[in-house]
Amino acid sequence: MAAVRPAFSSSTEGPAARIERLRRTLCTAETATGLAGEDAAPLTLGIPLIDDALGGGLAGGALHEVAATCEPQIPAASGFVLALAARHTIPRQQDAIWIAEDLSLAENGLPYGPGLHEVGLAPEKLIMVAAARGRDVLWAMEEALRCRAIGMVIGELRGCGIDQVATRRLALAAAAGNTPGFILRTAPSDEPSAAATRWIIGAAPSSSALRDERSSAGPPHVYRLAAHLIRNRRGHRGAWIVEWNSVEQRFELATDSVSVAQPVFDRPHRAAVA
Amino acid sequence: MALAQARAMHPALAAVTEDQAGDANLLDSIADWCQRYTPLVAVDPPDGILLDIGGCAHLFGGEARLRDDLLARTKSFGLSARAAIASTIGTAWAVAHFGEAAIIDAKSTGNREHPTSGARDCLAPLPLAALRLAPDMVAALARLGLKHIGDILDLPRAPLTARFGAALLRQLDRALGREDEPLTPRLPIPPYVAERNFHEPIAREEDVLATVERLAARLQTTLAARGDGARRLELALFRTDGAVKRIAAGTSRPIRDPQAIRALFVERLAALGDEIDPGFGFDLARLSVLVAELRMDEQIGLGTQENRAEVDRLVDRLSARLGRRRISRLIANDSHIPELAATAMPAQTLHAERGSGGWDAFRRFHAEVGLSPRPLRLLTRPEPIEVMALVPDGPPLRFRWRRALHEVVTVEGPERIAGAWWSEQADADEGARWPPAPLAGATRDYFRIEDKIGLRFWLFRSGFYQDAPPGLPPRWYLHGMYA
Repeated sequence: MAAVRPAFSSSTEGPAARIERLRRTLCTAETATGLAGEDAAPLTLGIPLIDDALGGGLAGGALHEVAATCEPQIPAASGFVLALAARHTIPRQQDAIWIAEDLSLAENGLPYGPGLHEVGLAPEKLIMVAAARGRDVLWAMEEALRCRAIGMVIGELRGCGIDQVATRRLALAAAAGNTPGFILRTAPSDEPSAAATRWIIGAAPSSSALRDERSSAGPPHVYRLAAHLIRNRRGHRGAWIVEWNSVEQRFELATDSVSVAQPVFDRPHRAAVA
Repeated sequence: MALAQARAMHPALAAVTEDQAGDANLLDSIADWCQRYTPLVAVDPPDGILLDIGGCAHLFGGEARLRDDLLARTKSFGLSARAAIASTIGTAWAVAHFGEAAIIDAKSTGNREHPTSGARDCLAPLPLAALRLAPDMVAALARLGLKHIGDILDLPRAPLTARFGAALLRQLDRALGREDEPLTPRLPIPPYVAERNFHEPIAREEDVLATVERLAARLQTTLAARGDGARRLELALFRTDGAVKRIAAGTSRPIRDPQAIRALFVERLAALGDEIDPGFGFDLARLSVLVAELRMDEQIGLGTQENRAEVDRLVDRLSARLGRRRISRLIANDSHIPELAATAMPAQTLHAERGSGGWDAFRRFHAEVGLSPRPLRLLTRPEPIEVMALVPDGPPLRFRWRRALHEVVTVEGPERIAGAWWSEQADADEGARWPPAPLAGATRDYFRIEDKIGLRFWLFRSGFYQDAPPGLPPRWYLHGMYA
């Protein structure tokens, strides 16, 4: 990795300009190591608050990690990733590819065609790869990430066989192929990883108001997720409760409930970053 | 004679148990190796092989040299063999089993009514068993004093047919060439083949791949002349010690490009790994196109065509390495039963259709009917759960799944999906597949459930309480999960 020393400027430079300069240095350093895709369009969620925190959206040519809170929450995490896939690949008419081990598919089920339609992803656009071993999942992810014609690669991995070397390889492949890659994990892990962002996704209860109004109609059709962003290279972390609007293909902040963790407003230089 | 008698005559006799299956396998593998001479090879159990070398002999320097090469190689394998070349199967078989000559001269072939004098002369002194007749017919002829083929060659035909049936004269006519006997080859003949002999056997993987690329380049010209592309290719590697290794690879769309074919085999060899043991080396490599299809020449350019081609190449690479069945796409089926509504088909076979796979029709149906939302992930086998419900046929209050208790907050349902009542019998024969036989035709009541944490499930009750037999209450199952 090239050694880049940011020069400490004089104190006349305001904090905003300093942060901007540091950001640019970081970008140069990232490009030098090959961890930033060239002109990959960012994946926005449709919520300006989160997109700004991500620096415009999830990096298009990078690896992202999405972990479910615990194993029963994997369908929620899958929903998050597939919603992003719908938002990103449908306008570009590209295919998305889902790679999982046989064991994962047996434990948590296969993506179901009519269910994909509910999310807004056209089922004919999804290629499914069932691998016998975790190694094959990583290999298939790397091959798919290098292919420029694929819109998004989602790899469902279990266990802790994913070390930093593997994530770095995947990140380099994502940058080379300009394809966003998502690792879907069954539980959050603390291992260092080369992923650009790390999320923990869980299911959130539907709002009480909705519940009271339509208790006879059952669970609402829009589903609600609690998304914690625990690692973000380009901005701060945060936690939000989002809803997926499959008609308009965008996420929305849940209006009638507050986020689990408030974004920090009381730090002085926070206000300058917006 | 009995083994004891034989041992009494020769005390040093070695006795080996007969292994018919093993012998058949050995014969099959020798026939596989004989494919190096000609694609038309048939097995003649229990110990013979038939090769049709019409048109191939000149590649080996003539019939005599082909026969010598064949006998020399089989001798080097440790087998003792006899070979005869003739213009009909019957003559060749007779001479190889019972005669002395090596090659029955085909140059003096007459027409059908006057078969070759060479064949007649060779066949005449041979015993009648050389005509591949049943043993009791041979015994019956022997009782009449007819022991050699020459005895029946000039007899009037009608009495022979009346006495022994049509088989006798048919075999004779086939041997003499008056009637045709076709040879059914053991493998179909591929439409395009390119092969290469090595004086110095090759063993390294890079050499094999370089050979594949060169053979593919040769095939490219013939394929391009016909406008075809290869959909299924087979690489046959013949080892010096007689074993044959065959590697097949398939593609989503017809290809001709040598680099693409080489890339396919790179993945296949990587997947097969140690199974391709070169031994002392391969001395013949043959690349054949098993399935060829018309290939439209595509323009190279930006846009969806190029994208599709690249996705197909990725699918080919993944299929070559992991197996065709593991790479799939979803297609919609016209079925109301949830687990049958969508099936996963191998992505390589779906290329030709390239429609929406039935999902357009599903979307129209969904818009018209207003189907209740379906789960994002469906379990392949619905898992049994323990449910507590207020009313027996009513929605659940709480349930236990995988040892965790879930409290139900909101419920929607029931959605009644009746089983395939017409195919109850067929499902009962499926064995271990879901659903098990007693529930195959059962009606299911589906409920969409949200629990306290926010997890959403799709579960069903199979059958009704009032219809259930006394000891067997209807079971509850969890079928899918929503996001």
